[in-house]
Amino acid sequence: MTKDSGRGGGEPDGKKAPPLLLAAAWLVPGIGHWILGKRRRALVFFAVVVCAFATGVTINGELGTPRPGEPFSWLATIACLGNGLLYLVRLAWVNGLSGLLDGLPFGLNGGGDPVSVGFSYGNTFLYTGGLMNLLLVLDVSDIARGEKD
Amino acid sequence: MVDHLFLMLWHALLVSVFFAFLWRRSSRDRLQLFGKAFLIMAVGSVVLGWLMYAVP
Repeated sequence: MTKDSGRGGGEPDGKKAPPLLLAAAWLVPGIGHWILGKRRRALVFFAVVVCAFATGVTINGELGTPRPGEPFSWLATIACLGNGLLYLVRLAWVNGLSGLLDGLPFGLNGGGDPVSVGFSYGNTFLYTGGLMNLLLVLDVSDIARGEKD
Repeated sequence: MVDHLFLMLWHALLVSVFFAFLWRRSSRDRLQLFGKAFLIMAVGSVVLGWLMYAVP
């Protein structure tokens, strides 16, 4: 079967994206595209994800952290974890390095201020930034496998 | 900074730019998708907000 032009039209050929590339793409928004030579896109993606994250933190959003007995907190954690290094650095900032290690998995403080006007908006920005970066990791995987330009 | 309309527009802007660059390759196509997505999110949210007045 011939490979369709454009996105994902061909048969999967079993080629895998390098795990280190995907890890880098997750850790730093846009760096996967940068490494693959898509410099302009990389800069835009970096700016968008960092702006979303910074807005969320600035207006007192809370990073998702796992809580016992609250299954949805895991979804929030996965969404926020998508921010990569931004998430980890912010958690370390809020909890301190020792607090970060001691608090795993259920004792982490996600920062933010629940009584603040911007709390839910901030959460939305933090989730959005993380989910966008996870989409970027998938995009990098597609580009690295030659499924997409 | 916590003006609701501003935050909604800022969110719509970021998401529109993101998907325009993720899904389109030419500048023209990107601009078109950005415009559509931004308008749908911004105008749609305001319309939905007004419609929700009718919902107790």
